[in-house]
Amino acid sequence: MVGLTALSLEGLVAVDADVVRLRRGDVNALSELITRYQNRLYRYLLRMVRQPAEAEDLFQQTWLRVVEKIRSFDASRNFDAWLFALARNLAIDHLRRIRPESLGEPLANSGHGETVADRIPSKDHTPLDHALAAERRTEISEAMARLPMIYREVLTLRFEDEMKIEEIAQVTAVPVSTAKSRLRRSLEQLRDALEARCPGGTWQ
Amino acid sequence: MSEHDKIRELLALAAADALTGGEEKQVAKHLRSCIACSNELEAWRPIASELRRLPTPQPSSWLVQATLARAEAKLTEQAEQDWNRRVMIFVLSFAWLLTIASWPAFHFVSGRFGSWLGPQFSHTWISFAAFTALGWLAGGVAAVMLAIRQRGERRLA
Repeated sequence: MVGLTALSLEGLVAVDADVVRLRRGDVNALSELITRYQNRLYRYLLRMVRQPAEAEDLFQQTWLRVVEKIRSFDASRNFDAWLFALARNLAIDHLRRIRPESLGEPLANSGHGETVADRIPSKDHTPLDHALAAERRTEISEAMARLPMIYREVLTLRFEDEMKIEEIAQVTAVPVSTAKSRLRRSLEQLRDALEARCPGGTWQ
Repeated sequence: MSEHDKIRELLALAAADALTGGEEKQVAKHLRSCIACSNELEAWRPIASELRRLPTPQPSSWLVQATLARAEAKLTEQAEQDWNRRVMIFVLSFAWLLTIASWPAFHFVSGRFGSWLGPQFSHTWISFAAFTALGWLAGGVAAVMLAIRQRGERRLA
């Protein structure tokens, strides 16, 4: 426990130090931060806009914006939330310009039908299991890509970036209660989409 | 809304580990006596589990390098702008200092040093003030023109 705290504190200090150094104009700190966040940020942007070329452009724009705004950033705040909020604003501006329809709110929440039959095993053991797991991921990936932007966003922030609800609320600039209900609705819509693909109305 | 319905609404969030401590306790207590909700929670788990294991798309190394290069260039440009701003502030302060200091000096040279504590609107003083104002006006116009030009260049870049 002590080790974990020390480790997480160490991580926190490392991030803060890079941010502080970047505020002083240190190019190496910029390189460190880009390396640290490249996968998470790119994934988030790709989930938002769905087109790799657009995500790449937004990735670059986000870091340029970081350089531009870093002096107004309070280093005692959560850099993750600030970075993702910058990326989000750029992505939303982009979508508003290019595909305004993709920002539309979803239809009213639909109810549930049958439940999923069985729980999948936590580890894959055979080639068949691997193949099934890959298929499930493809299905879930495709179903997720068809969700409205605000739902894709909240799913990726919670499950892929492992952000807490409070952090998601910060990034998306909404109250915690809204972030929470958004997460619930996104899961319900995803499940509906997955179950609609299965002939028996269940997904596993 | 019944207790059962309320708990049922929380099950998706329970699978997402997004409940507060109080809600977790509520759900756990309800699940002990409700098989339907237990099954429902089990139905959510594979979805949550698969979402956590989705493959992470990676940006190409070209993209990362290009981003770093552009961001570095921006950082350098900002540093230059900061330096220019500092130099400008220094030059302006120095110019003001010179202007203020030159006033008694001017009077001293023109043999009227004794009157500097009680300045009167003499012809000499008005000429000096007009000359100074003209100098500052010209400097201000030049600064605005330079700023407009720089902004235009930045936009083109």
